[in-house]
Amino acid sequence: MPRNDPTDTGGLFIGRRPGTAPLRYKADPERAGERRRRTDALLAALVLALEALVCLTLWGPQPVAWLWIGSQVDYHGGSITLALAVTFFGMLGTLMITLGIATRLDRVWRILRRAAGHEQQEGVLPRIFAVTAIVALVLFSVWFLLIEGPAPMMAPR
Amino acid sequence: MKRFLGYYRQFEELSPEDVSRDLRRRRDEEKAQSLTETPSLDLASPAWHEPPHAEIVNAATFALRRAVNAYPDPGAEALSAALAARHGVEPAQIVAGHGAGELLRAALQALLAGAGTAGEVAIAWPGWGPLPRLVHEAGGRPVPVPLGRDGAADVDALAAAAGAATRAVALCSPNDPTGGTIDAAALRRLAAALPAGAWILLDAALADFEEPGADLAALTGELERLLVVRSFSKAHAMAGFRAGYAVGPDRSRELLGRLAPPLGVAAPAQAGMTWAVANGERYLPRRRALAASEREHLAAALAGTDLAFPPGTGPLLWLSSAGLEGRELAAELAAKRIFVAPGSAWGDDRHVRVALRGPGATDRLAAALKELGSGPGAPAA
Repeated sequence: MPRNDPTDTGGLFIGRRPGTAPLRYKADPERAGERRRRTDALLAALVLALEALVCLTLWGPQPVAWLWIGSQVDYHGGSITLALAVTFFGMLGTLMITLGIATRLDRVWRILRRAAGHEQQEGVLPRIFAVTAIVALVLFSVWFLLIEGPAPMMAPR
Repeated sequence: MKRFLGYYRQFEELSPEDVSRDLRRRRDEEKAQSLTETPSLDLASPAWHEPPHAEIVNAATFALRRAVNAYPDPGAEALSAALAARHGVEPAQIVAGHGAGELLRAALQALLAGAGTAGEVAIAWPGWGPLPRLVHEAGGRPVPVPLGRDGAADVDALAAAAGAATRAVALCSPNDPTGGTIDAAALRRLAAALPAGAWILLDAALADFEEPGADLAALTGELERLLVVRSFSKAHAMAGFRAGYAVGPDRSRELLGRLAPPLGVAAPAQAGMTWAVANGERYLPRRRALAASEREHLAAALAGTDLAFPPGTGPLLWLSSAGLEGRELAAELAAKRIFVAPGSAWGDDRHVRVALRGPGATDRLAAALKELGSGPGAPAA
């Protein structure tokens, strides 16, 4: 395998540096006018916001919903094992579905960005995933430590 | 709706698999085409056809990686010391520059300054192509002096052509385009015959193709008005570096100072040249031998045809045909995808300049030339 790290080749780049290849299309895209590009940029921003919302559901609404469903299974079925299994596998299932939806939204976002005139090489999903996780962690910490309190024993009322 | 979606689908990138498939298809097409297509052979450029020694590139790369934010050594002291040791002169007699051509240009500018159009430069002709233009640019008048029969500068004719207005006499040895050389005795004779104040500008860009003992730069210690310019573009294969140097007499430091680039030579070029001077004997003999053997090879292949060139040194030869003009010869070779420099660039209708490469290229050239010689337009034997 050819080495293209300059520290291995006496400072010379052999071939293209990784990650710097230009975008390749089937054919040169026929670009629309300035107005259409502005609309596409706006649509891209909306899709990005939707993508962030979808990712955010992973860190709050979905776990809460599955915990509620698990509690209902336990209440009606009387089996804690079944309730745990339903919660665990249910969460796993909706996680996969959510990631599938987010991936598709990310692809739509990339295409809209390119249509808006940007050389958009990569999607933004990993960054959104990380940022929404941090946001959810902060929100949870605020709720848990400041609003609700850690536990009755540690936070006497 | 289909049209609406179609607009956005055109912005979908190809997958890596699609890209690889496309590249493989193009490679296969190029391979298939290369089997049926004759590649072009460039024998017009005088630059050496091989890349420079890998260590020259390494030295230049090291210089780039070391301190490219800093200015280079303006005096190129390490290089000057190495060159001085090579030629047996003082380091102060050496000036590094951006190639032999640039140094010649600076020398003509310096020598013709204030002389106006009255200043003349006698040029052994045909010689290095841009020389007449450089003389004009410096405000002087070029006076072409035909070469001798051996394809070398005719020093007696040059001396005869030099008059009171002559500021310099310019000649090449080995001569570009003929390969003819002059020796130290001829140079001494020329220096003795020139009017007072006239300089000898010796373009020795091809001198590395001569045997080491033939170095004329050492004569700068003896002849007071001899300036020798050397290049790294030819035998050292460093044309892209634009690297060369001049050697002048010890007592002409003012002129030498005017030849030097004001801010020095780039650090990578200095590093490459320094390595080449110190280690050139590793590869120069092979290139010298290759140029000589290819001259013999082509001469033997053309024996008995109406094509001929004068004997000489180096990879450049001045080829003529009894039946074809230089322009026609160049055009016929170009039709066979072999490109040579027509003599019209030197104001000569009979010749073409050929830059020899390796044995394969010489075989192809010889075969093409023989075909021309036996073609319908060939003269009767």
